[in-house]
Amino acid sequence: MKPGTDTFKEQLILPQGSDSPVRKQYSITLRIPMLRIHTLLIRTLRIPALRMSALFLLLLAVASTRTFAQGNNAPYSQFGLGDLDNGYYNRTTGLANTGIAYRSNRFLINNNPASFTGLSDQYFTMETAIRGQYSSYAGSQVNVASTDAADITFRKLVLGIKLSHHWGSSIGLLPYSTQNYEFQVPYNIAGTTLQIADHYYQGHGSVNRAYWANAFEFFHHLSIGVDASYIFGQLNQNDIIQATSTGATLVSTTNNTSLQNLYVTYGAQLYGRVGRNWNYSIGGTYSGKGSLLAASTKQVLNNDSIMLQNIQNQEGYLDLPEAWGVGIALTNKQKYTFVADYRYQNWNGVASQNAYPGQAYSLASAQRGSIGFEISKKKAFYNTMVELNYLQAGLFYENSYLQINGQQIKDYGVSFGFGANGLKSPLSYSVIFQYGIKGTTKNDLIRQNYADVTFIINFGQIWYTKGKKFD
Amino acid sequence: MTIIHHYLRKELLILSSFIGALFFLAACEKQPDVGTFGSGQVSDNGSANIVVVDSSTINMTTVYVDSTSTSATGFMMVGNYTDAYMGQINSQAYLQIRPPAGLPILDPQRDVYDSIGMDLFFVRSNPYYGDTTVPETYEVHQVTSLYQLPPFEYAWYSNQALPIGGSLGSTTVSIAPNLPYTSQNAGDTVKIRLDDNLGRQLYNMVYNKSDTITNLATFLDWFKGLCITPGGTPGSAIYGFSADSSVMKIYYRENVNGASVTKSLDFTFFNPSAQWNYVTNDRSGSPIAALVTPTSRTQPPPETPSSLTGHASYVDNALGLTTKLTFPYLSAISQRPDYIGLLRAQLTVIPLAGSFSTTWTLPPQVGIYSTDLHNQLLVPISAANGGPVQMGNLTPDYLQPLLSTYTYDVTNFIASQIGNTSSGSNQVGLMLSVPPPTNVNSYRRLAIADQSFPTQQRIVLSVYYISLYPHQ
Repeated sequence: MKPGTDTFKEQLILPQGSDSPVRKQYSITLRIPMLRIHTLLIRTLRIPALRMSALFLLLLAVASTRTFAQGNNAPYSQFGLGDLDNGYYNRTTGLANTGIAYRSNRFLINNNPASFTGLSDQYFTMETAIRGQYSSYAGSQVNVASTDAADITFRKLVLGIKLSHHWGSSIGLLPYSTQNYEFQVPYNIAGTTLQIADHYYQGHGSVNRAYWANAFEFFHHLSIGVDASYIFGQLNQNDIIQATSTGATLVSTTNNTSLQNLYVTYGAQLYGRVGRNWNYSIGGTYSGKGSLLAASTKQVLNNDSIMLQNIQNQEGYLDLPEAWGVGIALTNKQKYTFVADYRYQNWNGVASQNAYPGQAYSLASAQRGSIGFEISKKKAFYNTMVELNYLQAGLFYENSYLQINGQQIKDYGVSFGFGANGLKSPLSYSVIFQYGIKGTTKNDLIRQNYADVTFIINFGQIWYTKGKKFD
Repeated sequence: MTIIHHYLRKELLILSSFIGALFFLAACEKQPDVGTFGSGQVSDNGSANIVVVDSSTINMTTVYVDSTSTSATGFMMVGNYTDAYMGQINSQAYLQIRPPAGLPILDPQRDVYDSIGMDLFFVRSNPYYGDTTVPETYEVHQVTSLYQLPPFEYAWYSNQALPIGGSLGSTTVSIAPNLPYTSQNAGDTVKIRLDDNLGRQLYNMVYNKSDTITNLATFLDWFKGLCITPGGTPGSAIYGFSADSSVMKIYYRENVNGASVTKSLDFTFFNPSAQWNYVTNDRSGSPIAALVTPTSRTQPPPETPSSLTGHASYVDNALGLTTKLTFPYLSAISQRPDYIGLLRAQLTVIPLAGSFSTTWTLPPQVGIYSTDLHNQLLVPISAANGGPVQMGNLTPDYLQPLLSTYTYDVTNFIASQIGNTSSGSNQVGLMLSVPPPTNVNSYRRLAIADQSFPTQQRIVLSVYYISLYPHQ
């Protein structure tokens, strides 16, 4: 772009469609005054575009540190490892996260590590997601004057590349569970009704999954993947005793539990074509039982925030269950896709060995069933079909791993998604709306009605072009 | 790389805006109130708790100081009464007066001596104590010895008295202290007619312009001073008259153009530091009859355990009584296995049930001080958060006496003592004492039940400590 002008010549790359990516060059002249400052910034600071990308990621990371700290009060996250996150925040989110058998040539489908062989050759992709959630709570213990909550959270950052024709690889960071709760109960002197303070219980933290997954394709119809995850995180539980009259902190106890260990998930997909119009894919995943090494500390601060105790507890283990899932995907004319999944986590098998904090609740085997339907709009560019946008819908029903007051907590809902692939850039965007109901008001429990809006940004580019230039 | 160079710009702008918006939106978090949900599932996970110990042993003693400076208080405390706990109390006031500054020219043909009297004033804010419905008798005496402090003394004390002569005059009067009004129908003034012999003698001195009158030192050397005493009959209350308003008046009549006009020669109050109140206390037959008194002047103020004084200790500074509190087993709290720190400590002083009423009122302010093994009144104990000197925050409740309590934040003191196991630490304690200036102006007394009384009626030290069991 020439200095002092409002026009510049922009290189255009077409988005990656459902088939092999195409790269075309177009020269167009655009008049975009609003970009002057931004362009000037780039020029003045001499920041190359890739560095801008790095800057963008840095900004995103900073934003994530901010947004990770946010979180709705999720009453059920008090138990176990917190709220297990069954979302993948990817192309399948609009399908109610149904995607064990789903394959994509430009999106990373973390639902099954075997899916990464579906990426286009030499294709690099990066994806991040942000979710806003609005929740409304109901139940006999919920204060009717304060039933709502809203938050925005950063959900993931993943990268993937098709290293060779039969080898896809991905790394990334995904949430495993989150904990965020608070409640207050009167604190009476033992044996009396004399209330001297309130216990303000507060828990927050998250367990995350950093993974490296590799998938290998065999016989053009079978993909095997291994997802080696390092699960880590910290759950902080505060018990703050506050003066009833003033709310001033009298003493606080913070239990920090750091969790870490490796967790491996295996996946497989079998796929092919039936007739001229139908493509099929069958997938399965399996994770063996794992154990999280739990190192906990306890800190007690007095009313002047002076530390009275700092105790390093003996390390222990919190077990993760054996889990498996199966799924199927059927695509008609490269446009209509039907997907269905079933997932199972055998928490019963580890319940007796676990030492999760809390009492009067139990772990139960979790099951999740979901279906989804997708319409993909594609356009032919030369000999290739390029996806322009897509619409998705999904349903899910889940029996969670928590059983409280004799009720296994259920979660069910619907999702709708829309995605568009940028015509002038390697970016694509997805917006997914999900509405769900978790829990019940029976047996003094709480029902959470929630509405999520997830925004996913995907960046894709061909790498290893062997020196070929495009301008 | 060049491919990205241009077309990324627009998207980066959009994304930057998006992230910026995210920063703002992230601050819009709100949280619901889910009540106590989850409290039933909270396990005993080893959190610190607050434990209250209100059964700490408190040793109470009444410390007796044989005298206290009562000079220059501004009030002449005069009266006697019998208190159910303190015995019989008698207080009389010494003062000096001076002749009129400008002497009138008296003419025997025109001026005639009439009378001499003493005026005492009691205004609404002046202290009083006891049953004010009973008439009180007041007598005026002249000091007969040298009106002078003993060697090496610099103030008059409550146990010091000078010889006095016979009564110059007396009156019996009822005083309604809250109006105030006296039965003499003279408003707030108590008038005492004095001996006319003295009156005539002084009148003649004025007439003669005697050096005794015109020279203040000579006058004081001759006249010395006065002492206002309660009458010989037992009274029921004590009143604090305004010292600086007291005046002895010589009345004379002057013939002015055939009319008789009453005039006076005012001998006004002189030298506030020479005015003091002499207080005696006959404890025989009272609960404090066994009070330990000092046997020598150099002895520290002795203390008497509450067990020897009716299972109560007392605060009545005018009589030299303060209460000392020690906590012999305080360190046992810090030695509990779950003790990790002190949160706060509160001392609740409950007046002895039945010991106070609308007649025998409680001192509205009782200060709390540190004290040592010599029973000295040391520095005031401040609350944990600082603030003014603590006075107990009493709100008297005469219908429910047990709700009338003095409370003190003694966190700072307990924090310093709870881990103190050194020798002599048991003698370091707290002292309850009426703060100046009311300590010598007010005779209101406080009786405090010791720990032999039921829990709800006795003094309580509540120690709130932070508890964490080591096995958790």
